[in-house]
Amino acid sequence: MHIQENLTIQQKLEILSDAAKYDVACTSSGVDRQGDGKSMGNSVASGICHTFSADGRCISLLKILYTNECIFDCKYCINRSSNDVKRTSFTPEEVCSLTMEFYRRNYIEGLFLSSGILRNPNYTMDLIYQTLYQLRMIHQFNGYIHVKAIPGTDPELVDKIGWLADRMSVNLELPTADGLKMLAPNKNRTNILRPMKQIQNGIYSNRQQLGLKDKQVLLPSKEIAVSNQQTGMVATGLTNQDISSIHKENALRVKRLSAVNMKKGDRVYVPAGQSTQMIIGATPENDFELVSVAEALYRNFNLKRVFYSAFIKVNEDSMLPTIAGGPPLLREHRLYQADWLMRYYGFSSGELLSEKQPNFNVLLDPKCDWALRNLHLFPVEINKADYYTLLRVPGIGVKSVSRIMEARKHARLDFADLKKIGVVLKRAMYFITCSGKTMYAMKFNENFITNQLTSLEDKIILGLEDNTTYQQLSLFDVKNFNMGIKA
Amino acid sequence: MEQYIFQCEDSLDGIFTAIYNAWDSGYGHKNIQIQFIDQMMNYQLFSKYIPVVTDYEKSEKVVRTIKKKISVEAYETICRAAMTDRQDKADAIYRFVILGIHYGSSIITNYSNPVVQTIFEMNRAVGNEVHHYTGFLRFSELKNHVLYGKINPKNNVITLLAPHFADRLPVENWIIHDEVRQLAIVHQIGEGWVQVDTSEVDFSELGKINNEEESLEQLWKSFVESIAILERTNYKLQRQNLPIRFRRNMTEFTN
Repeated sequence: MHIQENLTIQQKLEILSDAAKYDVACTSSGVDRQGDGKSMGNSVASGICHTFSADGRCISLLKILYTNECIFDCKYCINRSSNDVKRTSFTPEEVCSLTMEFYRRNYIEGLFLSSGILRNPNYTMDLIYQTLYQLRMIHQFNGYIHVKAIPGTDPELVDKIGWLADRMSVNLELPTADGLKMLAPNKNRTNILRPMKQIQNGIYSNRQQLGLKDKQVLLPSKEIAVSNQQTGMVATGLTNQDISSIHKENALRVKRLSAVNMKKGDRVYVPAGQSTQMIIGATPENDFELVSVAEALYRNFNLKRVFYSAFIKVNEDSMLPTIAGGPPLLREHRLYQADWLMRYYGFSSGELLSEKQPNFNVLLDPKCDWALRNLHLFPVEINKADYYTLLRVPGIGVKSVSRIMEARKHARLDFADLKKIGVVLKRAMYFITCSGKTMYAMKFNENFITNQLTSLEDKIILGLEDNTTYQQLSLFDVKNFNMGIKA
Repeated sequence: MEQYIFQCEDSLDGIFTAIYNAWDSGYGHKNIQIQFIDQMMNYQLFSKYIPVVTDYEKSEKVVRTIKKKISVEAYETICRAAMTDRQDKADAIYRFVILGIHYGSSIITNYSNPVVQTIFEMNRAVGNEVHHYTGFLRFSELKNHVLYGKINPKNNVITLLAPHFADRLPVENWIIHDEVRQLAIVHQIGEGWVQVDTSEVDFSELGKINNEEESLEQLWKSFVESIAILERTNYKLQRQNLPIRFRRNMTEFTN
């Protein structure tokens, strides 16, 4: 291993932020903490983005590794021990002074500290603990801290860190135990899930002690029988009302910890909850398996977030796949969309995908796709439908639904009002009526709506937009011809 | 029908005073408009222009009425709406207050009413810009250790930004300078913050930042550069999330 001596802080920062860039989470959300009037920092539950890097991702936290020296040899990782890259480590003092100086200039919202494994997990985590301790106690830093827990660390050490950090995360790395065995021979699933469980229990008991009224933290109850019927793939014979109650049930089951509102001097154990991340595209799992894993994590571990990271091939290794066309960004995007549907919209994984249809539609977002498979539930009357039914309409989000619920107490809503409220009519118009009328006279059949919707996909987000805005005229409507055969 | 046009100054107190006078005049709401004194606009025929002298006592009475008859939330919404750069805001607020006093606190959610929609849009535009600047504002340290941040916002957001930074950085002396409106928020350790008019102040006289500051800026720039993943480069997404207009004063986008 090539360890560089006498690097300047600038060189260290370049190496160790470059090494940390594949960590996805850069959110600073989940906890409201007032400033205490005599030290630096506060925290806002919505999170604040401070800038956006050239890849369009948000930079909110100072995302660095403590060290990129590592004893493990995970095949997908740029820092694997067999790689010949420049190695270096920060000292606790350096991390603290960088964080403080960046924070007071409003560059960042806080610190995101991860690390390679130096000597052994305990040794590394102890260095991280010292860093956080100095930052919180000596520098009186009151901003956001997200820290990675390294699997295999002593529970006592994880606990000590939990009292200093706002959010902790243990990386799942790969969605299945087999994949993990194949690509990360030094890690194992049990070691990853143990600290996750420990942090979950820690959060739970701390919130109980504090008497926080937080029903959602309760561990999930047994699966109820009704949820087995819902395949979502075929007409189930359930009425809108049945389905709506199932959705409500789903939403409550997946709902994670609510944001903690911390007052001056409060000490809360991992107040912003825990998250995890997994790499997609490095192992052969399909999308259905991925969303099922995510759903299980939300239900069983009360995670705040599961992050998905499109696999980028940074090492040459025969075990790693080569993906034509670069990292699977569209797939990652679809997974995030599905993730939101599970956390905020009351969808279960089985409704979005199934054994028969194990992967997401490339051309349609999961919600539109679901709606098209369940056209018998539409159109929905805006002025009458209940909360969970409205939530399932493509083009209507959580905010719009609550505004609709409020606004229709005053007056009947029309399409023009919906537009002002924030409903995306170009998607929603096919699935709703206002006072019994659709927006335009249109055919209510699957092919027609599919054609209309596939021409809307948001190409900027996917980075798929090429620079040509014109198209060769053709006698045949090529695109629609292709759509006729259902994707 | 003859119109009565009340002309007030562009400030919260100015608008509230105009609302007080308009109400007090008894001309009937539909015969009244409220505009700003310095508003570039053609004079209307058959209209009587009435200048409004800002009166803090009257303004205070209107505030009290809004809080009592509508709600505190409505008052906060109005305050945010009053910070937009739209010229029709004074009249919009007037219409909203009339409705609010009639309907009470529920008015705020009556999104299908055009008057409420206007206020809702103004409130959202200002709220969004404030949230953006809580992240996109950059301070640089001057020689005397004062943190100085310059912004060019569309809406008048500095008074709404101040509480956030006062809570976050109580142990620093800092200045947030709105270059467009020649206003600044000045915060002094242990003294709270005040808004000052800076049209007379020459900011080029501020102590130029020293070498240490430059090396720190360099650190930040190299961090922003190295954190991006080359394989995922997507400038359009970056521009969508961080529009060019914000970048003028952001350390990582200046040379």
